[in-house]
Amino acid sequence: MSALEIHHLSKTFSGQTVLRDVSMTVADGEVHSLVGQNGSGKSTLIKVLAGYHEPDVGATATVRGEPLQLGSSSDAHRLNVRFVHQDLGLVNDLSITENIMLGRRYPRRRGGAIDWKAARAAARDVMTRAGSALDVRRAVGELGIADRTRVAIARALPENDDPAIIVLDEPTAALPARDVEQLFGTIRHLTRAGNAVVLVSHHLDEILGISDTITVLRDGARVDTVGVGDVDHNSLVRLIIGKELVKGSGRDEAIVRSGSPSLTIRDLSEDSVLAVSAELHPGEIVGVAGLAGSGRELVAGMVTGRLPRRGSIIIAGTEVPSGQPRAALAAGMAWISGERARYGTFTNLNLRSNLTMGDLQRHTSAGRINVQSERAEVRDWIDQLGIVTRGSDVPITSLSGGNQQKVLVARALRLTPSVLVLDDPTAGIDVGAREQVHAIISNYTTESMSVLLVSTDSDELARLCDRVLVMVRGVVTTELRRGVDLTAENIDHAQVAGAAA
Amino acid sequence: MTTTTNTTAPPTAEEAPRTPLSMRLGRFSALFLFLGFIILFGIITGDTFFTRTTWKLTFSEGVVTAMIALAFLVPLVAGVYDLSVGAMMGLSLVILNWFGVNQRGVPVALVAVMAIAICAAVGFLSGVIVVKFRVNSLIATLGMSQVLIAFQLKIANNRQITGAFAKSWARLGTRDVVGVPIVVLYLLALAIVLWFILEHTPVGRYLFAVGGNPDAARLAGLDVERLTYGSLMASATIAGLAGVIFSMKVGTYSSSTGPGLLFPALAAVFFGASQFTRRPNVWGTLVAYFALAFGVKGLQLAFGPGTFWIQPLFQGVALLIAVALASREVGETRRSRRLQREASLAAEAAAPVSIPPPGPTTSPTSTESPGGSASVDVQQ
Repeated sequence: MSALEIHHLSKTFSGQTVLRDVSMTVADGEVHSLVGQNGSGKSTLIKVLAGYHEPDVGATATVRGEPLQLGSSSDAHRLNVRFVHQDLGLVNDLSITENIMLGRRYPRRRGGAIDWKAARAAARDVMTRAGSALDVRRAVGELGIADRTRVAIARALPENDDPAIIVLDEPTAALPARDVEQLFGTIRHLTRAGNAVVLVSHHLDEILGISDTITVLRDGARVDTVGVGDVDHNSLVRLIIGKELVKGSGRDEAIVRSGSPSLTIRDLSEDSVLAVSAELHPGEIVGVAGLAGSGRELVAGMVTGRLPRRGSIIIAGTEVPSGQPRAALAAGMAWISGERARYGTFTNLNLRSNLTMGDLQRHTSAGRINVQSERAEVRDWIDQLGIVTRGSDVPITSLSGGNQQKVLVARALRLTPSVLVLDDPTAGIDVGAREQVHAIISNYTTESMSVLLVSTDSDELARLCDRVLVMVRGVVTTELRRGVDLTAENIDHAQVAGAAA
Repeated sequence: MTTTTNTTAPPTAEEAPRTPLSMRLGRFSALFLFLGFIILFGIITGDTFFTRTTWKLTFSEGVVTAMIALAFLVPLVAGVYDLSVGAMMGLSLVILNWFGVNQRGVPVALVAVMAIAICAAVGFLSGVIVVKFRVNSLIATLGMSQVLIAFQLKIANNRQITGAFAKSWARLGTRDVVGVPIVVLYLLALAIVLWFILEHTPVGRYLFAVGGNPDAARLAGLDVERLTYGSLMASATIAGLAGVIFSMKVGTYSSSTGPGLLFPALAAVFFGASQFTRRPNVWGTLVAYFALAFGVKGLQLAFGPGTFWIQPLFQGVALLIAVALASREVGETRRSRRLQREASLAAEAAAPVSIPPPGPTTSPTSTESPGGSASVDVQQ
């Protein structure tokens, strides 16, 4: 009997189909991997299975023959379908025992006190089943990432010895290469005991190394399910991308830039970024691509000083210290983050104050802000960038996401930076606003400004950039050039295929 | 006493661009409360309530506490809590008294300047603890206030100090100018300066930014550390000034004077933050403070001298109700803003020409739908 069967699973978010009639079968004792590009629907599938999302009508699922109500987290839990998410969800201040007992019932002694001895024994039991002999009294915070992952897996195991379905969502994204093998040991340990493991990962080498079966999703539909013996790296990449590689025409090479670079990144490292170097020349738009966990998501933060880093950042000849956004701004860098709410907007201030934040000098005389002149500048930006708003003094929160982002674009552009860093600038904004932001980026990139565009959106990178650096596991593995080999497909391919491309 | 904000008609899409009436009125609830007290106690105890003496007394008695409230307000704007403002005022007062008793030769004005400078230096020290040692401001200033109290007890030998000041010094705090107690004018002057700084200068704007989103403030190039230092030094300076004013007006030092003012001051600031601009602000703080002060005064007049317990009861209840209403209103505001945004998006998509706000000339085909953002979230 199969461990898990899903039939005709579709999911539509207000008219947009994210999953299209997906069916799949996971056998007992196997490692079944789920692969696909960003936006292929694998995360949505996992979320439906975990009960975060309701599927569209018509979907059915069974666990070892018993019907599973999709979209219900309690039903999934009851049928021993368990999840380990990428962020693990552990509490660092608590011990392994306490983390494992979260969501479980503590054994009690007479009078209601916790029976710690029994609790520790229970924790030790699940840790053993996850193939670990760690002291369960240790605090989770003092463990390395590999051991933390193991604790999270142990916590996911059911109390009883019944076989479970363990879903691991990107478990290796944050793992250094040497720890991946340990994790695989844990996974094999689980399958030997009769559990089924569903693995979501971007790393094809790992997928090929541990899986028994691989299901490929593309644009929300299941493309194929193959045994691991039937594919190799290249054929799997083809299944995921769905297209043959587009060969570059070899002509019209991007202009070779000379003169001094406006931004030099040298040996950038820290966290999951291992080594990134690049030079940006005036007038150039350089993209950074990479899947989740490749280190791509940290690059902009390190370059702008939001995150600590090692290695040097030189803006127009001035080396700026790590972790000091003010120094980077002073040297002529400006930035726009896709995480507006967290790093951009001040919800307690109006549109005008948000737009001019950071440089009020030009509207200040004798210590007083001249609101008239400030308002005039803001109106000018509202017209230039087509910000849809009822006025310059409305709360910033009354604007749509795309228009809020345009306000932040204006905040950066008004500084006339020599280097503009865009960190996923169109994340979470609608298609129309995305087009407009793209147009603004192209129009305002003058001969004296260079742009570093970090993005999860391959189309965006292919459209706007002169060069794109593709990151895999913390290093740049591929550089694509406009007019040579820069296409969205090639970016996707390089991200997925990794160093082997 | 807070009925003005209780009825809320859920805004529909048609009327959404405007804030509901009840909420627009809620911004002035402290003023209504003030008026309500005046009418209520005017009716109950008109003969004593409506006298020049009562009004002058209530205003001038409130000046020092109101200053403590303004001291607390400045760092609060930047999201920093300074719970040492009461003890800081006591520090300034004990320094003045000690010199008044033990060093009569030194001019009081000079001592006053020195006392304020010492307070500012202590404020800087709090800044070091908050910024350099990354101690939560609530804890840092709570600890600092205890240290300051210890220092005062030592200096004053755990005794009350009286008679330290000459009549000429006392006249600076007890005179009337064109019928208005002079201390009220001091308060007004301070309030105008702080209002100007907070609402009309870059520093004020930046303080609000740090209070609203410190991460974004740092990334926008603001010197968050310096603003934190500055706000704590400002609050200490104002608290020191409050101590000087108290020395002119009352003179007597007792160890309970400063710390006792902390609660009513905080109540006024938090109540005031729901007023006018709907964020911590100078005039909201003052109106809220004096509305509560007149309420207490009216109750005391109505129920006689045995009602010393009314003040804390009244202030505690008022604070709880005010802050509860304010949090409700924040929720309402978010909700109405969301409705506004949805309505304007719907308007953009449906008819880009006719409905305000005017839609863009290139009408976007898809609005920001939950599906759109969800699919983005899901991609990782």
